[in-house]
Amino acid sequence: MIAELGLYALILALLVAAVQSTVPLIGAARGEASWMNLAPAAAGAQFALVALSFAALIWLHVTSDFSVLNVVLHSHTDKPLLYKITGVWGNHEGSMLLWTLILALYGLAVALFGKGLPPSLRARVLSVQGMITFGFLLFILMTSNPFARIDPAPVNGNGLNPLLQDPGLAFHPPFLYLGYVGFSMAFSFAIAALIEGKVDAAWARWVRPWTLVAWCALTLGIAMGSWWSYYTLGWGGWWAWDPVENASLMPWLAGTALLHSAIVVEKRDTLKGWTVFLAILAFSLSLLGTFLVRSGVLTSVHAFANDPARGRFILVLLGIVTGGSLVLFAARAGSLKASGIFSPISRESSLVFNNLFLSCAAGTVLLGTLAPLIADALHLGKLSVGAPWFNLVVPLLLAPMLLLMPIGPLLAWKRGDLREALRRARFAGVVAIVTILATLAITHAAAILPALGLGLSAWLLFGSLTEWTRRIGLFKKPLAEAFHSARHLPRSVHGMTLAHIGVAIVLIGITGSLAWQSESLLVMRPGDSATIAGTTLRFISVDENARGPNYSATRALFLAEKGGRTVAVMRPERRLYDNPPEPKANVAIHTNLVSDLYVVLGEADAQGGYVVHLFHNPLVPWIFFGALVMVFGGLVSLSDRRYRIDAPRQAARLPTPAEPRAVTVSLRYALPAVAFLALIGVFFWRLNQTGEGDTPNLVPSVLIGKPAPSFDRPPLYPGKPGFKTSDLKGHVTLVNFFASWCVPCRVEHPMLGLVAKSGITVVGIAYKDKPEAAQSLLAELGNPYARVVTDAGGRTGIDFGVYGVPESYLIDKNGIIRFKATGPLTEDMLKTSILPLSEKLK
Amino acid sequence: MKSALLALLLLLTPAFAVQPDEVLKDPTLEARARNIGKELRCLICQNQSIDDSDAPLARDLRLVVRRRLVLGDSDAAVKQYIVARYGTYVLLKPPFEPATYILWFGPLLLLGAGGIAVLAWYRRRPLETSPLTDDERARLQSLEEGDT
Repeated sequence: MIAELGLYALILALLVAAVQSTVPLIGAARGEASWMNLAPAAAGAQFALVALSFAALIWLHVTSDFSVLNVVLHSHTDKPLLYKITGVWGNHEGSMLLWTLILALYGLAVALFGKGLPPSLRARVLSVQGMITFGFLLFILMTSNPFARIDPAPVNGNGLNPLLQDPGLAFHPPFLYLGYVGFSMAFSFAIAALIEGKVDAAWARWVRPWTLVAWCALTLGIAMGSWWSYYTLGWGGWWAWDPVENASLMPWLAGTALLHSAIVVEKRDTLKGWTVFLAILAFSLSLLGTFLVRSGVLTSVHAFANDPARGRFILVLLGIVTGGSLVLFAARAGSLKASGIFSPISRESSLVFNNLFLSCAAGTVLLGTLAPLIADALHLGKLSVGAPWFNLVVPLLLAPMLLLMPIGPLLAWKRGDLREALRRARFAGVVAIVTILATLAITHAAAILPALGLGLSAWLLFGSLTEWTRRIGLFKKPLAEAFHSARHLPRSVHGMTLAHIGVAIVLIGITGSLAWQSESLLVMRPGDSATIAGTTLRFISVDENARGPNYSATRALFLAEKGGRTVAVMRPERRLYDNPPEPKANVAIHTNLVSDLYVVLGEADAQGGYVVHLFHNPLVPWIFFGALVMVFGGLVSLSDRRYRIDAPRQAARLPTPAEPRAVTVSLRYALPAVAFLALIGVFFWRLNQTGEGDTPNLVPSVLIGKPAPSFDRPPLYPGKPGFKTSDLKGHVTLVNFFASWCVPCRVEHPMLGLVAKSGITVVGIAYKDKPEAAQSLLAELGNPYARVVTDAGGRTGIDFGVYGVPESYLIDKNGIIRFKATGPLTEDMLKTSILPLSEKLK
Repeated sequence: MKSALLALLLLLTPAFAVQPDEVLKDPTLEARARNIGKELRCLICQNQSIDDSDAPLARDLRLVVRRRLVLGDSDAAVKQYIVARYGTYVLLKPPFEPATYILWFGPLLLLGAGGIAVLAWYRRRPLETSPLTDDERARLQSLEEGDT
């Protein structure tokens, strides 16, 4: 009953979205006030319906209604209440519903706070929001219905992945989505502006606060995700350049650029086309992130809904939303007339510079994330792009921007004086140089990059404070007077200063963690102690039978001691959850706000010892602290009276010249649309491939056409001959790696008999298997091999480039590898490749 | 195969990759092994390095890396040893070769194209300002009141 209620609410919401996305838009074109006024009412109804549906899903999860498939798959009666609730968005269907709920919430916000907007703008903005909501509701209803029933209902559910049963992950997705979806506001305003052909200061004053809200939420969301990965995955790291992380970083970079370019539109009435483009880009990258995560197009450790059908739907949605808006952009951007003029040395130019580097960084992350896909599509081979590439390229792109970051605010609008700005920043420059020299001196010139990193941080920190201290007259005027000035300074100035200081703090944290992290991996028994970075950890005791609400645990007790004094009691755990029965390491972290002591408890060995992984992570807390300072800066800026979301009322009344609604397509503006449509084509091609069973995971062998690696393996059956490289001479041979623990090997087994019948010598190599187990497998299924040998250590497998069994290599009479089959042999493979090829080789 | 691979992918257990029994006695060699391990892709898990992965193959590859180091290979030779067997795909940092030019030149191209676009934009617009209209003057005033 509740499930059906939730579903009907969603269907009703879809109908409301259909109305919201059309009627006000037509009304705005015709100037019909009553049609336009439908928009806020529809947005309100929209929110109420989606909220009702979301509440229904929470209810189903909280009451453990196992007649609903979603609850069965992701919940369990023993789960603590918090995780019953947060489990709602710990799965694909629920998280899409949360996404839509937040979208509806933003729509409601426009309806509530948008009374000061020109009616036609408000109608159009809400219409565009309605279209996006329509798309997502349709997606949920057609591919991801969270209310689907299951009959008969099982007695209990499967439970939630233990990694998601964590307070950090409970709140990370909502903030991330508030950020992602928040960019839909700037997007809707951009589309409305393109339709109206008008972008002015009032428009920018509307876009800025919404972008700020989204930016703050996304910053917080990313920081929480990073923190979660830091303390749950037990690897001591906080960022891995996983596609999912990249998916959140790209809109963040574009959104940060948008935040800055909107300032130029507002203050100086220029950079309009670019700002509109960034607004489209930021939201499109959010959508792209959703698409990448949920489609299976990229393999990622995070992908929890790998499904090509869903991927295809999101791709079409992305094509319509982004493709459509870029075409609109191509047609209308040329008519956005700018009036502001500024010289190459000015505040505006510094913001252009900021935008150039931020968008190039976003483009680079996009390139690194998509390049493997595109290389595949164009048959350029498998391309591997991993963390080391990002770690090299992205900082190089961001460094020039960070270097210039403190200078920008010191330049005047329109025409700045660079020499004067540099003169004012000289104190920060001196501090930076002293920092670099001091770091080099302390580390005996061993840490050049960290010294530069800390120097840059000092430059950012003191440089950002330079303009702030000047504006409030600190050190020039008496303190009370400076305090008075500070109170009267616009809040956005405080906000900017704080956010920039936050960047400096994050940079200090990153530098420290990359340069000075130390770790120690050892086996410890109760009573043992180990020392890391001057702290001694004493392993006091271990309780192997600890219980939690839905898990059993091995809990260790460590004392951290420094100079004979106990500084912390640490209790790392190794949990085994009841449902699903999966392990999870609970890291013990002791922080003194400057560095973290990080203890992970591993498996027990037979002698009563435990694998213990100790980390000393200097300055890592500063990464998260810095992110909080950035968010706080954003919030302070948001509280500026000029950016309160209902403030632009007065600004909206400023006379604005009527713009001609011309269509002027120029190559310049059409370029993004063309590039994007090409990209979509590539994706579609790739998705169809994935659908046909070609996994994106297969790695081609480099050994084709090369001599087989040299090997000499002992026989599986004692007394029988072994097999070595020279035995390959004179026969066409199929070398088959198999194992008793490999399920697909059983599937391919009949094929091996067929190959043997065709006159090919079939040699089996039992890969990483116990001889008895391999023998009993062959006893059960029959032995198709001319010879069977063992590779218990997997050495020969590695020489052959084996990465998963079964794998088979067709080798000619001269010992040259001609063909490799990854995965089980199929009849098709025999007919089309192996048999014809072997005939030729004979 | 596909579902098996996916199952493996989703098997994201707490990373506890390197085990104490693998660790080399010589801390310099071990540090080199860790650094090499961070640059080699775990082929079964795709987005993890062998240093981060607890897949059995990753462990085997870590052991190979260490054995080669003990035998006196240079870092580059160890990586080459793995590449000769698994291809350049195992390198998390793509090598510099025609197929990867787009990766290495791409960011530069982006920056270059962006830079040229910005320059062209500056050149297209006159640097001298025309006198303010009354409208603009009024607007400037309102903006200056809230200058940042």
